[in-house]
Amino acid sequence: MVDMTTTSAPTVATSAVSFERVTKSYGDVRAVDGLTLDLRPGETVALLGPNGAGKSSTLDLLLGLRRPDSGTVRVFGTSPREAIAEGRVGAMLQSGGLMGEVTVRELVELACALHPRRHRVSDVLARAGITEIAGRKVDKLSGGQEQRVRFALATAGANDLIVLDEPTTGMDVTARQAFWATMREQADQGRAVLFATHYLEEADAIADRVLVLHRGRLLADGTAAEIKAKAGARKVSFDLAEIDADLAARLRELPFLTSLDVAGRTVRLQSTDADATVHALYGLGVYPYNLEVAGLGLEQAFVAITAAEEAASQC
Amino acid sequence: MLNTLTSWALVRLEITRALRNRKFLFFSVIYPALLFLIIAGSQSGSEVDDGSGLSLPAYLMVSMASFGALTAVLMGNSERIAKERESGWVRQLRLTTLPGRGYVLAKTASAAVVSLPSIVVVFVVAALFKDVRFEAWQWLALTAAIWAGSLCFAALGVAIGYLATGDAVRPITMIVYFGLSLLGGLWMPTTTFPQWLRDIASWLPTRAYAALGQAIETGGAPHAKDVTLLVAYFLLFAGARRGCTGRTH
Repeated sequence: MVDMTTTSAPTVATSAVSFERVTKSYGDVRAVDGLTLDLRPGETVALLGPNGAGKSSTLDLLLGLRRPDSGTVRVFGTSPREAIAEGRVGAMLQSGGLMGEVTVRELVELACALHPRRHRVSDVLARAGITEIAGRKVDKLSGGQEQRVRFALATAGANDLIVLDEPTTGMDVTARQAFWATMREQADQGRAVLFATHYLEEADAIADRVLVLHRGRLLADGTAAEIKAKAGARKVSFDLAEIDADLAARLRELPFLTSLDVAGRTVRLQSTDADATVHALYGLGVYPYNLEVAGLGLEQAFVAITAAEEAASQC
Repeated sequence: MLNTLTSWALVRLEITRALRNRKFLFFSVIYPALLFLIIAGSQSGSEVDDGSGLSLPAYLMVSMASFGALTAVLMGNSERIAKERESGWVRQLRLTTLPGRGYVLAKTASAAVVSLPSIVVVFVVAALFKDVRFEAWQWLALTAAIWAGSLCFAALGVAIGYLATGDAVRPITMIVYFGLSLLGGLWMPTTTFPQWLRDIASWLPTRAYAALGQAIETGGAPHAKDVTLLVAYFLLFAGARRGCTGRTH
């Protein structure tokens, strides 16, 4: 108990990022709508949301590339522009281009030179996996190579916060795994990492915390497991010796069902209270074989949460 | 001071890149000198009939040196800035510790590094092949005035780069470049123009620009009106750029 207070007190004082009722509109479109959130140093946070959810706008506001219409954005207790000028933030944006007609090494040298706590150029090249292509002209790179150069630019020095927008787009599976291994190292050194992604398995595997954004608002905020729980349903599947019409009808009346699918002798259902549903199943006097109870994947949870919100907003 | 030091890395890289671009170097450094030889070649003895008493080669030397400097500072930057804004490189730079004006500073510096040789090469060619002679102080003053005056057009190049989109930037730059060169009298003396065109020309920055050098050639200091006009244009162009950086990022 005492430990809790001593460890949590300083983190409250030094939020890596804090948004307070931040709003940003483009014409009639409200891209960010009263967003309040708080990221702590050392956290790895995934930002999820369907297209147009306001992810890019949120990152732009966080990096001071745009100003909020109302509300405040603070990065390490100061304005985003100031935090960037101090070299505390490294960022890799999809919209971030590269300087042409120079070599990869020259560009990385520039990024290192601009950083007050710069790493060695050879280290930055090695970590991004671009040592072999360091002599190549930037204009002659593949999409995945460009992405790794962007990553090198974002990690040219010791940042306290790394912001990544769809960082693994264009990378193959091996490159993607190597990328996240590197990112893990960064997080282990106490850096906050915030990434937007549409690969939900990445968010599931990497992030300590997942933020679900929808129509510019924060729909869910928690660990991947909590997000899945919030979606409510769990999957239950089992086989029965035989299923006749009468049994099928009784299965349909099980409590807490949200869906039921009978294919041959296999039953797949989703339930908001799997324990109660399975208990009632035994109550029917049948014996289920190969019984499996599993949580929804993050992807299904994500779809469920945003669909529920979509339905609610249409009422 | 600290800001300037931070910008230095980008300044150096921009200069390296400019010096690597052969086509750009040819058009900024070699082409004005060649044009000078072609135009001055046929008419070495004649005087310009603007009452200055300057020989045509001396007059053309300043025009072509000014033209070369104009090419160096205007042509490369406007297009590159528009393209780099579109590609997101300008945005990427905003995520570094580079101060806001560092990018424009680097572009201007790299242009100035190319414009200096473009001025000097025209002078050397004029002295060697067309026997143009001046006092030592005049050569130095000419170089300094034309080099400094080119800053006005560097600011114009930057402004076009920020105002134009990637598709439109080349034609816009070309129109401005040829329009200013021709009407400002960089290719032929404005004395050959009809009066109404001369009236327009007298207010163009290129006319004032060439007049800086011509004043020095006749043994005097640049006229206050020309200097004022160039400074006013510089402020206008720099202001135009600043006015639109807000919406472009």
